[in-house]
Amino acid sequence: MAAGQDGALRGPSRRSLLQLLTAGGAALAAPGLWSTLAAAQAPVAGGTLTIGADADPIGLDPVTVNAFSSYDFTSLIYSGLLRWNARMQVEPDLATGYEQPDPKTYLFRLRQGVKFHNGKDFTAADVKHTFDRIMDPATGSRLKALYSSVESVTVVDPFTVRFQLNATDAAFLSNLATNPNGAIVPAGVDGINAQPVGTGPFAFEAYQPNQQFSLTRFADYYEKGEPYLAKVVFRFFKDQATLTSALRSRAIDMTWVKDPKVAAAIARTSPQFVSAPGQTSRTFPIWLNMKAKPLNDVRVRRALSLATDRKACLDTVLGGSGKVGAMIPESQVGGYDGTGEMPYYRHDPAAAKALLAEAGYPDGIDLGDYIIVAANPLDVACAQILQQQWQTAGIAVKLVPMETAPLLSAWANGTWPTLLSVALSWTPDPDAIFQYVKSDSGFGKAMGSNDPELDRMILEARAELDVAGRAAKNLAIQQRIADNAYVIQIYQYPLRWEIWRDYVQGYVPLAANIRSFVRTTWLKK
Amino acid sequence: MTRFVLGRLAWMAAILLGVSLVAFLLMRAIPGDFAIAAAGSQSVAPEVLAAIRRDLGLDQPLMAQYLGWLGHALTGDLGTSFVTRRPVLGELLDRLAVTIQLTLLAAVIAAAMGVATGLAAARLRGVTDWLVRLWNGLMLAVPNYVVATLIVLLFGLYFPEVTVLGYTPFLENPLANLASLLLPAIALALAVSVTIAENTRAAVLEVANQDFVMVARAKGLTPATILRDYLMRNALTPVVTAAGLKIAALLGGSILVETIFAIPGMGQYLFDSINSRDYPVIQAIVLVAAGIVVLVNTLIDIAYARIDARVQM
Amino acid sequence: MSGPAQESGQAAAAAPAGAGRRGGLGQGWPLLGLGLAMLALMLALTVFAPLVAPYDPSATSPDSLAPASAAHWLGTDSIGRDVLSRLIVGGRTTLLITVAAVLIALVAGLILGLAAGYLGGRTDEIVMRLLDVVFAFPVLLLAIAVVAALGPTVPNLILTIAIVYTPAMARVVRAPVLSVKRWDHVEAARSVGMSEMRLVLRHILPIVVSPILVATSLTLSQTIFTVTALSFLGLGPPPPDPNWGGMLSEARQFMELAPLTVIGPAAAIVFATLTFIIIANGLREVLDVGSVR
Repeated sequence: MAAGQDGALRGPSRRSLLQLLTAGGAALAAPGLWSTLAAAQAPVAGGTLTIGADADPIGLDPVTVNAFSSYDFTSLIYSGLLRWNARMQVEPDLATGYEQPDPKTYLFRLRQGVKFHNGKDFTAADVKHTFDRIMDPATGSRLKALYSSVESVTVVDPFTVRFQLNATDAAFLSNLATNPNGAIVPAGVDGINAQPVGTGPFAFEAYQPNQQFSLTRFADYYEKGEPYLAKVVFRFFKDQATLTSALRSRAIDMTWVKDPKVAAAIARTSPQFVSAPGQTSRTFPIWLNMKAKPLNDVRVRRALSLATDRKACLDTVLGGSGKVGAMIPESQVGGYDGTGEMPYYRHDPAAAKALLAEAGYPDGIDLGDYIIVAANPLDVACAQILQQQWQTAGIAVKLVPMETAPLLSAWANGTWPTLLSVALSWTPDPDAIFQYVKSDSGFGKAMGSNDPELDRMILEARAELDVAGRAAKNLAIQQRIADNAYVIQIYQYPLRWEIWRDYVQGYVPLAANIRSFVRTTWLKK
Repeated sequence: MTRFVLGRLAWMAAILLGVSLVAFLLMRAIPGDFAIAAAGSQSVAPEVLAAIRRDLGLDQPLMAQYLGWLGHALTGDLGTSFVTRRPVLGELLDRLAVTIQLTLLAAVIAAAMGVATGLAAARLRGVTDWLVRLWNGLMLAVPNYVVATLIVLLFGLYFPEVTVLGYTPFLENPLANLASLLLPAIALALAVSVTIAENTRAAVLEVANQDFVMVARAKGLTPATILRDYLMRNALTPVVTAAGLKIAALLGGSILVETIFAIPGMGQYLFDSINSRDYPVIQAIVLVAAGIVVLVNTLIDIAYARIDARVQM
Repeated sequence: MSGPAQESGQAAAAAPAGAGRRGGLGQGWPLLGLGLAMLALMLALTVFAPLVAPYDPSATSPDSLAPASAAHWLGTDSIGRDVLSRLIVGGRTTLLITVAAVLIALVAGLILGLAAGYLGGRTDEIVMRLLDVVFAFPVLLLAIAVVAALGPTVPNLILTIAIVYTPAMARVVRAPVLSVKRWDHVEAARSVGMSEMRLVLRHILPIVVSPILVATSLTLSQTIFTVTALSFLGLGPPPPDPNWGGMLSEARQFMELAPLTVIGPAAAIVFATLTFIIIANGLREVLDVGSVR
């Protein structure tokens, strides 16, 4: 979404549209509208959708869950006050609207007649219970830090809940819309980590570790008609090659793969498969250690950027699926969409050499170890290409594939020598990404970030509630980062490439990397 | 005989102890902090790390840790997985059951194929013999994971609708269970059947020529008796030994084949836990797998001794 | 697991001695000749790899998963690298690890086996018992555990595999030593006062050479299996070094789209393993090694 064009609801208009929807009642969710527009046929109820998953869930309690592999399941079992629609905009879910008496207070009106899978009614008490658990240090929830601006959650009446913040927080609504960050759990129900109970479109049925995880349609789901599927079964195939084979042999109807070339190749050779472009949500950055020579010299960094042919990396590693990237992906507010002008993004080895000479390295430079995540084949492939590209500009590096755990440790502590790459995934709010380059954050200090103007811009952007304004500010931040080459970004791509059989209708992949739209999916058989 | 058996059992216990020591030391030899690996994340509060260290007994001397771990292992507590946070034992047993099914099926196929081709080569001689030996030579050169990959490739290219991957539990559907295990079992069995075939062939050829067969004939024993008492007894020895060694070895071979065919057995469990650096699981699998191998080898030795009383330690 | 030829090796140990010999796949010399020719070809290709390989094995291109063509005899892999070049250069690493590991196992096994066999008694017991503990582990399992623990670097791989195969080598050495020790002329030499060292060198070592040669070539074939299996599992030499097992594993995702990416490494692995098996069989015939399968 380029700046200013996202069409997202802005400031006061957002409030009133939600209130409008509340009053209207019927025109519920944009996705409902969306899928009706997208699919000309009428959905057919029934059937079982089999999805291939590459990892088992680790815990099913959204408040305590840490593993990405669990999100697939929590996003179908639980719902939150808000949710993301197909165009990555926030829209109502369990809350039908909200008011803001002042910028730090949110008064949510809750939907009535919603039931949990165990038959219990959903009320404001459940919202309070959820957030009390999150805020309680004893729970040890990682969400506590995300909701640090939330001071208190109060039940006003059974269908109204007040959130009192201690500061304006542009990320607040995004977090509420994200699963599992904003998922609501039932009060008074124990053991949801193994036997989950939520308000989502599907209810937990059974789980055999390493084999399958099954969900059944929740008949009392509050969106009339949805979900269409009678049953959803996840089958586990941990190895990418077996996952692909399972898809081709129809053991599964749908899956997502890590390598876009695989998905593109499958779709190309078999017309029965649909491969979705989706929105990009992940970037591949090269983190630079600017605390010491030679990378403390902006000319060397700019030379590195000029020596990089981002388009070639994109074409070779991703097979063209994806876009050239900057600090935040296009699915975020103000995210770079790969088409605009970015400083030092042109591929110009001659100019790179000139800059190096100016910086005192007329015969080229050896930048030492370039550390990459050994377990990510895409990263390793890209690093090899970069090494060759840089070679032609006189920049030498040695590739050092490393185990993930020690690599993350080196990154967090700033103990890597010169270059290190670890990809950044989707977050509900782009500010979380900017925190990595802010000079007072752990990571910022680790890389030697020291730009007061940049810090100021980041703080300002975080406080900006007007969406268009924020988009413009975010773009400006990215341009500053590229201009100074604090971080070298290469490309952006979807975390996973989704691919499904042609009889699967009504599914929309989300940049947020959860399969929420299984609720609008139906099988045309 | 009893002395022999007791001796072998005592020796087995000694080896198992050694095996457990190796399994334990291996995991303690990893570079990096074991406690951090257990925590699963770099950014863990020092108090949490200290608690983990106490829990895992990492602050004690190595010998004490080993004895503690061994004690737990003997009572069935094989630790907790770093990844799933659940006890390793339950998962391991489930997986082991699947691998045993696969291994038994592979052993049966290998034995059947091996004995059949070995007998055919020994009795029919000539071209059959030459063909069998050629086949054997080739099969030895193709590793089981290459066979497995090629099988999956073959089906993927020419029979894409046939599901060759995945596993159906026996209780759910016995026929589907067999179908899901058949191809991986064949991949595992091929190389193993070669040795059985060659052993069978050699043994049958050898024994047929030995003096005591002639002597027995001279004594007037019926062919049936000769066959049963002498031929089989002497041919069986190497075959049983080889088969026994293979069954034990099949356990290790399943690592690759299970991964390729998506069979949730112990081999795949090892593969996954290596990728996720789940050290308690790796440790447990090494211990259990090696333990099984030692057990089977010991039983084979005892059976071997029974079959041919001439064999002394 | 233990794969292809470890079964033969173990079966050789298990079959009763004096079972006599049987013809190999052919008669001795032609077989050995064939095997050595194959070996020579492999060595030539890998030693001169940089000259022989048509492309830089790390050179990527947007032309991914291309089928066989004049430009790329075996096509390209998922990021456009020439498969043939990667096979040739990958062979170098694979063979390096294999040969180095087996040489170390050979030397270690020789020393341990000679010591145990010749000195006998306590030494024999202790040495063999210790080796038995290592021997109890399925080869691949032990290799996996050690490499996973210590990290997959080339030196670690060489060392691990050497350790894993030493017991088998030691056993192969020990057996003939045990029987030779009691031979008359050895007794005679000893009674005449020949030094132990000379005794070992002049009388015992030559007897051991033949089974050792056969065992070494068998072990080489098994090691190819273990090395490629380890790299298939992701525990091989780290990228960007090409290696056959790793190539096979990566290619599985694209199997149906570009079969050559799978068939190439598979054929290479089979060729290398077959080479050593043929050499082993040929040696067995030519050297008239006593106990066979």
